[in-house]
Amino acid sequence: MRYDCLIAGAGLSGLVCGIRCAEMGLRTVIISGGMNALHFSSGSIDLMGYEPSGKAIASPYQYLKKFTPKKPGHPYAKVGLKTIRESLAFFKEQCSAGGLNLYDNGEENHFHITGLGTMKISYFSQESVFNSRLKDAFEKKAPVAVLNFDGFRDYFTDLTLEQLRRLPLLKDVTITTGKIRLPYYFRTERNLHEFRSIDLARVFDSEKFLPRIADEIKKAAGNARIVSLPAFIGIENFSKIHRKLEQMTGLLIYEVPSLPPSILGMRIDQALKNRFADLGGELSAGDKVFGGEIIKGTLDHVHTENYGNTRHSARFYVLATGSFFSGGLKSEFNRIEEPLLKLKISDSPSRNKWYSDSFFDKKGQPFISYGVKTGKTLNPFSADGKEVKNLFCTGSILSGYDPVREGSGGGVAISTGYFAANKIISAVAKGDRG
Amino acid sequence: MIKLENISFDHCIKCTVCTIYCPVARNTHLFPGPKQSGPDAERLRIKNPELVDASLKYCTNCKRCEIACPSNVKIADIIQDAKWKYTRARLFRPRDFFMSRTDFVGSMATIFGPLVNFVVGLGIVKFFMDLFLSIPLQRSFPSYNTGTFASWFKRKRKGQKKYRSKVTYFHGCYVNYNKRSLGEDLVSVLNAMDIGVEITSEKCCGVPLIANGYLTRARKNARYNIKHLSEQKKNNSGKIVATSSSCAFALKHEYANLLALDNSSIYTDTEYITKYLFDRFEDGIIPPLKPVNIRAAYHAPCHLERLGGVMYTIDILKRIPGLDLVILNSECCGIAGTYGFKKEYYQISQAIGQHLFRLIDRANPEYVITDCETCAMQIEMNTPYQVLHPINVLAMALK
Repeated sequence: MRYDCLIAGAGLSGLVCGIRCAEMGLRTVIISGGMNALHFSSGSIDLMGYEPSGKAIASPYQYLKKFTPKKPGHPYAKVGLKTIRESLAFFKEQCSAGGLNLYDNGEENHFHITGLGTMKISYFSQESVFNSRLKDAFEKKAPVAVLNFDGFRDYFTDLTLEQLRRLPLLKDVTITTGKIRLPYYFRTERNLHEFRSIDLARVFDSEKFLPRIADEIKKAAGNARIVSLPAFIGIENFSKIHRKLEQMTGLLIYEVPSLPPSILGMRIDQALKNRFADLGGELSAGDKVFGGEIIKGTLDHVHTENYGNTRHSARFYVLATGSFFSGGLKSEFNRIEEPLLKLKISDSPSRNKWYSDSFFDKKGQPFISYGVKTGKTLNPFSADGKEVKNLFCTGSILSGYDPVREGSGGGVAISTGYFAANKIISAVAKGDRG
Repeated sequence: MIKLENISFDHCIKCTVCTIYCPVARNTHLFPGPKQSGPDAERLRIKNPELVDASLKYCTNCKRCEIACPSNVKIADIIQDAKWKYTRARLFRPRDFFMSRTDFVGSMATIFGPLVNFVVGLGIVKFFMDLFLSIPLQRSFPSYNTGTFASWFKRKRKGQKKYRSKVTYFHGCYVNYNKRSLGEDLVSVLNAMDIGVEITSEKCCGVPLIANGYLTRARKNARYNIKHLSEQKKNNSGKIVATSSSCAFALKHEYANLLALDNSSIYTDTEYITKYLFDRFEDGIIPPLKPVNIRAAYHAPCHLERLGGVMYTIDILKRIPGLDLVILNSECCGIAGTYGFKKEYYQISQAIGQHLFRLIDRANPEYVITDCETCAMQIEMNTPYQVLHPINVLAMALK
């Protein structure tokens, strides 16, 4: 097979890598088994959110400047500050070309409000989640109404309200709750299961009931200036619909992420996949990479589930198969392994050291930072200890970082995907085989 | 008792991702979606078969739920299985009977091809079919050949011996009765690559039988096909190819997973045609191709997507000089075999297809290319464009 680049996994990292390769004219294929973890994500992108003590980081780049020299095993240290910056700018650009606008606070972090009413630190948020007009309104202590659709069972306004009242930032702010009724979406009573975020998102997408919904929002909001809604303002037309709703109601409307499947995450997924297809990339969604053969430190070919012994070969490969949940890493009773190529795992202590007894341990859960061991340029090591030069590992399969505790999952996925793509692009330009 | 092999539903983590990508649930409130109809309800059905839900019938078996599932649950198989295991179908179903006997009906119709096409196209006939058989008035039908592909091939068989290697062609009902020209194109493409074609005695692959609940019959056909194809393979030790993505999918996966038959004797060597061509092209066996100078939009059928075969078709198409190709974002066309030919599902089927029809229109092509025969019928009925099979385009480039 004459692919320049074969990527296993179409998650955040694999897609960023694929888009970059395809943009530079490389023949790129992504093989993806099952939908990615963006479907379970908040739809905001973290870069570096928290210090080990749990303290929030205001300026992630300044923090990283001091942090990376101390942590040479961290993916950020391997990728380097310059590439991290470039990759995030690239990501923002690509999302916007795919129809999704992201907000960032210059080079600073910002907070967005979660479904539980807590503040979560982020680097990028979708414009319907946080934007500068909203920031101003919050600072001016404008009254807030926390709304939900009557009958939507995946979100509870009272829970949000209780939490919001505890936030120092919202001290002295009037916060109310309310319900939007959709009597016009009449067929819902017939099948209760239809009241999922996805069904509501499609009602919004159709724009059919928009003026009536706007009326209902105005009614439910009372005197509030800012309105919070669970995230279901459309999947395809969301930016137009968000704008229209704000115009119709004269209110500021922001979305909060709710339970999976995440509408906000799906928007990123779609924007990136559209972009990849537009640039001529090939995505094989019904198949799954299931093994491969490394010969003398070079990955020769991979196999997929549907084609048994057929060899798929490319000049370069990227393994972006994710962590334990996505099947990129696998835990046996007393051992952790990378199931596709049996690559070396960073460290694999005995089972009783994998986790902390306290679920919300401030130090984090150790197993989260386990993963594939890689060299300086994200090349992994085969079972016999040789560095595999034509294979790169990106995203959450990597070891040496804790996306949960650091708040760094999105940034690592994007920057390592982009980094690997650049390495491949320059090697292909030089005519290397890897 | 729960049989251990049937517990794939237990891997479901209830993430609902399958339901997001279900084309039926998106377009009708009558179908609760693959998660609920598949893994969720399977627990109840195992406990008490009375708890089966009639909404199962709305599933088209397009398999997009399985493509989406991050946990490897065979959702569509669970639904298909339950559909016929727990519900008792009426004995007398003339429409479903004839619709699923594509080989029987085809062999009758090809005797008087033009006459059948004329009669079926008459408004009054369509009216009565709507009235008595619940076949929607608006639906257009595939036309029949005069004479089958198999009889045409008989005359060609001798000439196939001179080529260097051999391949067995599973032509399926569509090529045999409706679109002989596709089979003829395949023979010329393969011959141009110094590959001789052989066919063997075959029955309908079983896809329409499965869809209409005639599982015993489907199993019978499957056994017949497995037997004849593996014998044929022994003779020429070559590959078995199909030009229908759904036939290929049935031979490889439905036989083993849904019909619980042993198809290991043909599994590895059975391939959808573009995968076979891809491998030959990689070995340097490429026919001389002239520029075709057309602009076309490519639609990837659901079953080929599930088979992981779309990338091979795209690769083959990209090698054809002068083909200005627009690859459409893969969406179900809505017809799902015999589903779109039934009055009770017709509206849903059309609603599912709307998105694809809009994409095609926006691409502004001269032709549409797709691998699946029923997708082609649906697209030709709903758009002004002629639909080609990738093999047709390759054959165009030969001339």
